[in-house]
Amino acid sequence: MLKNKNSRGRKILIYAVSILLTLLSIMPFWIMIMNATRSTTEIQQHAISLIPSGYLMKNLAILLGKSFNPAVGFMNSLVISTGATLCAVYFSTLTAYGLVVYEWRLKKIYFSFIMAIMMIPAQVTMIGFYQMCYRLHVTNNILMLILPAIASPAMVFFMRQYMYPSLSLEIVQSARIDGAGEFRIFNTIALPIMKPALATQAIFCFVSNWNNLFTPLVLLTDKKKYTMPIMVSLLRGDIYKTEYGSVYLGLTLTVLPLIIVYLLLSKYIIAGVALGSVKG
Amino acid sequence: MKKKKQFSYAKYGYIFCLPFTIAFLIFSLYPTVYTAVIGFTDLHGLTMTNFHFLTDDPFKNFRDILNNATFLTSLKNTCRIWVSNFIPQILLALLLTAWYSDPRTKLKGQGFFKVMFYMPNIITAASIAILFKALFDYPMSPANDIIQTLGLSSGPVNLLINKTIARGVVAFIQFWMWYGYTTIILISGVLGISTEIFEAAAVDGANRVQTFFLITLPNLKTILLFTLVTSLIGGLNMFDIPKLFLLGGPDNSTLTTSVFIYNQAFSGGYLYNRAAAASMIMFVIISVCAAILFYLLRDRDEAKLQKEIRKQKKLMKGGARYAEK
Amino acid sequence: MTAGNSTDAAHTINLWTFTDEVPKMVQKYIDANPDFGYSVSSTIIATTDGAYQPALDQALAAGGDDAPDMYCAESAFVLKYTQGDAAEYAAPYADLGIDVAKETKDAAIAQYTMDIGTRPSDKQLVGLGYQATGGAFIYRRSIAKDVFGTDDPEKIAAEVGPGWDKFFDAASKLKAKGYGIVSGDGDIWHAVENSSDQGWLVDGKLHIDPKREAFLDYSKKLKDNGYSNDTKDWDDAWFADMKGEGQQPIFGFFGPAWLINYTLAPNCGGEKAGEGTYGDWAVCTSPIGFFWGGTWVLANKDSAKKEAVGKLIDWITLNCTKDGLQYAWANGTMNENGTKDCVASGTVMGMSDGSIDFLGGQNMFDVFVPANQYAKGTNLTQYDESINTIWRDQVREYSAGNKTKEQTLADFKQNVSDNLGIEAE
Repeated sequence: MLKNKNSRGRKILIYAVSILLTLLSIMPFWIMIMNATRSTTEIQQHAISLIPSGYLMKNLAILLGKSFNPAVGFMNSLVISTGATLCAVYFSTLTAYGLVVYEWRLKKIYFSFIMAIMMIPAQVTMIGFYQMCYRLHVTNNILMLILPAIASPAMVFFMRQYMYPSLSLEIVQSARIDGAGEFRIFNTIALPIMKPALATQAIFCFVSNWNNLFTPLVLLTDKKKYTMPIMVSLLRGDIYKTEYGSVYLGLTLTVLPLIIVYLLLSKYIIAGVALGSVKG
Repeated sequence: MKKKKQFSYAKYGYIFCLPFTIAFLIFSLYPTVYTAVIGFTDLHGLTMTNFHFLTDDPFKNFRDILNNATFLTSLKNTCRIWVSNFIPQILLALLLTAWYSDPRTKLKGQGFFKVMFYMPNIITAASIAILFKALFDYPMSPANDIIQTLGLSSGPVNLLINKTIARGVVAFIQFWMWYGYTTIILISGVLGISTEIFEAAAVDGANRVQTFFLITLPNLKTILLFTLVTSLIGGLNMFDIPKLFLLGGPDNSTLTTSVFIYNQAFSGGYLYNRAAAASMIMFVIISVCAAILFYLLRDRDEAKLQKEIRKQKKLMKGGARYAEK
Repeated sequence: MTAGNSTDAAHTINLWTFTDEVPKMVQKYIDANPDFGYSVSSTIIATTDGAYQPALDQALAAGGDDAPDMYCAESAFVLKYTQGDAAEYAAPYADLGIDVAKETKDAAIAQYTMDIGTRPSDKQLVGLGYQATGGAFIYRRSIAKDVFGTDDPEKIAAEVGPGWDKFFDAASKLKAKGYGIVSGDGDIWHAVENSSDQGWLVDGKLHIDPKREAFLDYSKKLKDNGYSNDTKDWDDAWFADMKGEGQQPIFGFFGPAWLINYTLAPNCGGEKAGEGTYGDWAVCTSPIGFFWGGTWVLANKDSAKKEAVGKLIDWITLNCTKDGLQYAWANGTMNENGTKDCVASGTVMGMSDGSIDFLGGQNMFDVFVPANQYAKGTNLTQYDESINTIWRDQVREYSAGNKTKEQTLADFKQNVSDNLGIEAE
């Protein structure tokens, strides 16, 4: 494909593939939004429809009529996701900096240790985590969903891999000669260089925290602390009479903020190389 | 990146890594050790109070798991699904990266397309699982409607009871959800490569293919390693989609190891000890595979440099302080 | 965890459940009894994604102020909490100030409900359900008239049963005129499951009761002869058959009263007679007695508010007067849309009228009350949820023709052993 001498033909190919992938990527969102406007019975008859129906207001009424408040859920999700993302991104970069810039005896072991943590399947540390939270009576504490993000091994790994080629020690050395302290160097020089990496990981972290259902579900039992995914799962839980229309509306509302956040942060990824002051 | 230092900044290494260490010790140590330990006990059942260490046969749980037919099936499935998901994914991601990071190609709407590619990753696995199940359902579904309209079959066809199709759909869903993520990671890696290199290559007359294979790819090595390792880990731990799509069916054909472990722990038997043993086995498998990847993608120049330095150190004992590696 | 009012922990009852059904009931009681002196803090965790049970289990195990005082369990997993591993957390109703023997007799509580709610270790009643979910056969009147010449429930009951042989005879008569008798094999499963002599576990080993094993044959018979549309319960196509829009029109469904109210009615394609299949239904005795679903209410043995909880539980499960919950539930004054449902108290059922337009004016309680007697509560285990999932999966493979019977049974035993650690006999 790359050998296609005709630049125009190549461009057309690229556009065609891109448009196809775009349609493929958008399709489920479209279906979800369409379903948010259909009634439960319509959905139970035919799960997929490409055209909207007229039940949006009814579904909204059902959603708001339940015993929980979507606005509260939204705020909770926002607080948790933002908090966790900030913690994860800042401290992972900090840790990666420590691994890249400094030479210390336990460095290799420590890095292997971080990698090892990353490989533990998440499902089974769950049991121990819940046990611990219940025994310590720290359930219903939003901080328990934010602070653990400080230790995010995969993100440390990514930051380290990104830092190696893009952060040169000469810059650090010259800043030291200029009299800057280590932390100052980190905050004012290293961080800006890492901007594309920070933005990329921030998006992923935010999305995964926002969509995380199971951990908050079991830890947060106070209605006032529910996150949005919990509320949507409550809608699905009325086994005898699941209101699918409002479920899809709930799902759409859950996804909307993510799309907005992503659009806000994506310019850091799309923008050209001119962004970071990167040297070889 | 090696530096001779007159005065050691080494302590900062420890300081910078301290928050991570503390957070880990507080939040993850207990669960991790707990899991590691109970793999060697007979702990099971809901009220987890009495348990004994299997002192006469410490590895009993591990042997049980390795002889467990369902576990072996799940291992096979996991590998199959991962391979059919990952290979198309990385190829497509590399292709898109090549196209989109080429400074010589002016593409309109790049930003828009990149945003679109990542979209599938935003949606929850649960919603996708429901949607895809509805798409291929039996006896009524859009897929079945199409099949019957095209005359391929007179009656409805149960697509999802066919194991290959079920596995294929799971692999496709994983591919669809993650190709944008991989592409963006690779593109952000390319953004970290200095433009000067590309300009120099252009001056030297390199064409697109050469530029991609000889410049972009090698400089992407570190990021590629990340992508491969995290994809490996994610793939071998695949849980959400297999569980929510068909619960691991039909007949265990989409059962992955994570779903198997979950079932051991939570499907009524509460066999925590076996679940823990299985997790540890998976951990070993993943570590070995990751180690292989690390070895294959190691920085060869860096390794040569290390050898040089070690030689020099041996020659100069007691001289200026060299950093240890 | 505290309620919005300024009540303290000592006067707050922690209620754990998975829908807002019971919290609404409790709220109604509090509103009607202002001097009750307690408020309720409800924790609702849906059962989808399997999150309710782990959370409830941890909360019970941890104890303390946050532990549940009152909690609910659905029929799919209630055994675990009344007879199985979590049974030790439950308080006997007798400890709550309830005269069990007298009240259950006065209210004529269905036997199966009590069987399920009785703890084997001390033979104490620890849980009761407020609904009665004995099942019947719900059929289309128009199809009945076309094939059998009548839509009278007693006559139809004699055509489709008792017993499976008569059922399949009726199926072939229906097939001859182009109708399927049920939508899929899932429809007859609950009846088959509940009618077996023994459960899945006998002496700690997996036991395949011959009546349940026969389900393999029934399932294949339904599919091979085209007696059904081969749907899976709760899938789109199953709902479509309620409107009569499947491949062939379907004669009937097996289910308790809640199936009529919450599943058939919303999916029949209409809201009054003449629209869709509304009003074209009737209920008759099922060929085999069974029950399906229901919610049991339990109390925590370590609760400090046993008396208050006892009052709530008594009002919900045993009160058989016109003030009790069950009367409101049965006569449609509890829910917004006025649906009438079957309740556990036979006494209340006798006082209530279950006629609904959906059934063309038939009083469904006439059929459902005796149906409760045939339901069995003694052949269940706490592992049923998981074992049934494995079983249905294997049966589907068999009826699709992918496996032989021997292979199916072997794989079933293998899967149960691998996943649950239960060996076959």
